[in-house]
Amino acid sequence: MSLLYSRGPARIDANLTPLIDLAFLLIVFFVLVARMGGDQVPPVALPEPRHPATTPAGSRSRLAVNVMADGTGTIVSLGARKFARDEKGTNDLALAIAERIRLDPSIPVDIRADRSLRYELVEPALQAISRAASQVGSQRVTIRVCAIERDDLGREATDHE
Amino acid sequence: MNRRRAAEGFTMRLAMTPMIDVVFLLLVFFVCTVRFERNEAVYRLDLPIRGSTADPLALQDAPLQVFVGERVGDQCPIEIRADGVRRETKDFDALAITMTQLRRKAGTNEGLFESSHPILIVPSAGSQWQDAVEGFNAAVRAGYANIGFTQSTP
Repeated sequence: MSLLYSRGPARIDANLTPLIDLAFLLIVFFVLVARMGGDQVPPVALPEPRHPATTPAGSRSRLAVNVMADGTGTIVSLGARKFARDEKGTNDLALAIAERIRLDPSIPVDIRADRSLRYELVEPALQAISRAASQVGSQRVTIRVCAIERDDLGREATDHE
Repeated sequence: MNRRRAAEGFTMRLAMTPMIDVVFLLLVFFVCTVRFERNEAVYRLDLPIRGSTADPLALQDAPLQVFVGERVGDQCPIEIRADGVRRETKDFDALAITMTQLRRKAGTNEGLFESSHPILIVPSAGSQWQDAVEGFNAAVRAGYANIGFTQSTP
């Protein structure tokens, strides 16, 4: 018997420790980056300005009015609630926004509209926000337009002076 | 007893299989459900408010209006209108440059409008929201702070 096999034939075992380490690291990463509930907003193809002069949205809670393209029409939503694009829908949306602002006056109202939509389709949502602001007092409402800040162009051309 | 177990080769081992199963299940769940948001950013907006209780006798500056037309191919007609000013630009970069030139610089006589001068973006009904926001962005880039959207033009 050679010295090499003095303890019997060699066993081949998969070393699971680094695999489990990696799996746990990945789980910790996903747990940290996942946002459960709360500020869940539907995916919207937001406008992408060429040289954005935007400010970060911040992580605080917000009231997102979503205007999404849906085939030939649009869907206007506030959270899970959807609104028609007619006068009644606009009024209902204004009332819903005003109600939420009264509960939390510091909450910003964000317009998240699909970039491919015509302005006339986004306008009712803007009017609803405007009416809601009038109802609760315009000084108290923060209204914001959402856009995508493209990384490839950055902010190099934000000032022409 | 211990001697007998040792003799039988008994060793206590942690059962890893169920733990690995659970770990991988969790991993698959998070990989499937995670959604990375792109860099969402915002502009502060000043909407013209209906029924506001502004002083009707107070003199207000006539807003500088930026008309954004309907895009045809790569061309989007843009026009700036204000008291005594009427300029057309070929794209939004040129709009930002023109608006910067029109803005009054601190401590100089250059420019016509203060940075607090009201700016109204007036998109046409058929213009794209992307172009309306580009017009808004150009005004922000030019250094104005009081910008809003108004009713569309037909």
